[in-house]
Amino acid sequence: MIPLSHFMLISGLLFCIGLYAVLSKRNAIMILIGIEFMLNAAILNLVAFGKYDKQVMGGQMFALFAIVLAAATVAVSLAIILNVYTYHKNIDPTTIDQLRD
Amino acid sequence: MNEFASQVPSLMQSIREGIPYFLPEIVLIATFVCVIVTDLFFPGKKSVYTLGVGIAGIAVSLFFSVLQFQALSEPLRLFHGSLTIDRVAGIFKILFSGIVLVYALFIRGNTRLQDHVKGPGDLYLLLPGVLLGLNLMAMSSGLLMIYLSIEMISIVSYLMVGYVSDSPRQSEAAMKYALFGGVCSAIMLYGISLLYAFTGTLILSNPAFMNGLSEMPQAAVAIAVILVLVGIGFKLSFVPLHFWSPDVYEGAPLPVTAFLSTGPKLAGFAILLRFLDPYYAFQANGHATVFDFMPVLSLIGISSMIVGNFAAIWQDNVKRMLAYSSIGHTGLLMMAVVVHSANGVKALIFYLMMYAIMNMAAFIFAAKIEEGSGAINISDYKGLGRKFTLEMVCFVVILMSLTGLPPLAGFIGKVLIFTAAIEQYSSTSSVWLLLLLIVAAITTVVSLFYYFKIPLNAFLRSSEKMENMTPKRDFLTYIAVVLTMLLLVWGIMPGMLV
Repeated sequence: MIPLSHFMLISGLLFCIGLYAVLSKRNAIMILIGIEFMLNAAILNLVAFGKYDKQVMGGQMFALFAIVLAAATVAVSLAIILNVYTYHKNIDPTTIDQLRD
Repeated sequence: MNEFASQVPSLMQSIREGIPYFLPEIVLIATFVCVIVTDLFFPGKKSVYTLGVGIAGIAVSLFFSVLQFQALSEPLRLFHGSLTIDRVAGIFKILFSGIVLVYALFIRGNTRLQDHVKGPGDLYLLLPGVLLGLNLMAMSSGLLMIYLSIEMISIVSYLMVGYVSDSPRQSEAAMKYALFGGVCSAIMLYGISLLYAFTGTLILSNPAFMNGLSEMPQAAVAIAVILVLVGIGFKLSFVPLHFWSPDVYEGAPLPVTAFLSTGPKLAGFAILLRFLDPYYAFQANGHATVFDFMPVLSLIGISSMIVGNFAAIWQDNVKRMLAYSSIGHTGLLMMAVVVHSANGVKALIFYLMMYAIMNMAAFIFAAKIEEGSGAINISDYKGLGRKFTLEMVCFVVILMSLTGLPPLAGFIGKVLIFTAAIEQYSSTSSVWLLLLLIVAAITTVVSLFYYFKIPLNAFLRSSEKMENMTPKRDFLTYIAVVLTMLLLVWGIMPGMLV
């Protein structure tokens, strides 16, 4: 039996890796992958703690919804990034800055 | 498995009982399907049929929402407490239907969207979907519903911003919005998973939720709550999560900007109120404070007012200026949230209603002036007051209302918020409220400077290059004029609403 603290530790680590990727990567697709890491960290938490919620199964249910929504968000974001590429020939969010103060 | 078998009948029973109250949303779901089918048969330029079906469905749903609102006496908890319908949610639902209807007509009247190669059909089919998300957001009282509805709005909004990507700027705005939104929602989901881990329930009104939180160390609760506030704050675009809003407002087509600055923002306030409710109720029952929202929300409010109003002074682009001014308004509204008394909530709802009308009308006039003259910057507005008299006069009235000058509705809204805050201050004498009040008063004066740049340019300065400009007036102009009249009427006779 793996204790719960291990799950929390791993999910915390995943979240931090994801956040690091979001903040440091200079490629929109890499940022999306970072977002995916963060979402999966949360999903891991939800599933692990669903163990204590046997009757309603809230955590497990939530995990299913979160997976589907993550897929939808990624699909939309990829379409948008493709669009950006056709106009800018580049998907580095730090260099695409026509809109600014 | 057998341990669940006994539970199934009661679960089914609660779902069956909830469905009659879910009628407005069921209508929207049906409309969504119908609109998709209609859009398949009438693509491109024939999209007016799609619009017709969409508007009819939304109107029917609005009708049921109104019926539901009138029949409502006490808060209803549906589907095991994941949705709550009360008076506040009812008002928000009616308001959202109104906003989406005006937005639909705004799309219809916008030449840039109508002339687009793909036609505006796909944009119309997003409307029932986004209204469904907004309604759910107003009612949700479970963590799952909160996440689901926020994501629903976000995904639709990304599509709206990116829809007519005919310029590099617009695709840039869509990318910034989608990436920023994705990160915020991931952070929020992590916060929700922590809250679930601490309490073992997803339902905010469940007593186990607050009891579980009160047994956890305060720092852990604070982290989880702040992570959730990040997600809500993205929708509200308060400081420090406001970076996306000026860029997205500037890059997106005007109707979309008008919608983004009203719909999701109002829904964000609805959800914030619902999220704060259990904490305040728990405190009122004499328990120890689980998480002190006062300093956090006050700091957010103060910094939003300062950043929004001062940054707006330097803007030349009308959309950017309105974006910063809407950040400033969010700060002011945070003050009403901090007060959190019955009067505070009433003031908040009144102001949100007026704010929605003001912003919608302001963006419609900005679009009309842009179509007629090509002016997108305030400095291009020189002398336009003579050609676009009707538009400019109404625009100025709206700006006066945004500033909060009598006799307009914006003034009444500000008075209500200030009185609620002063009442609360005199009973608690909290330093945070005093600071909020002072900053709100100062920034209201500051806002005069940037709002009045528009009439200054339009009426008092002149320009030579305005020979071939003619105002194109259509139904949209008159809708906006009616909205402006409403501001005037409710400013003089606020008793009709309060």
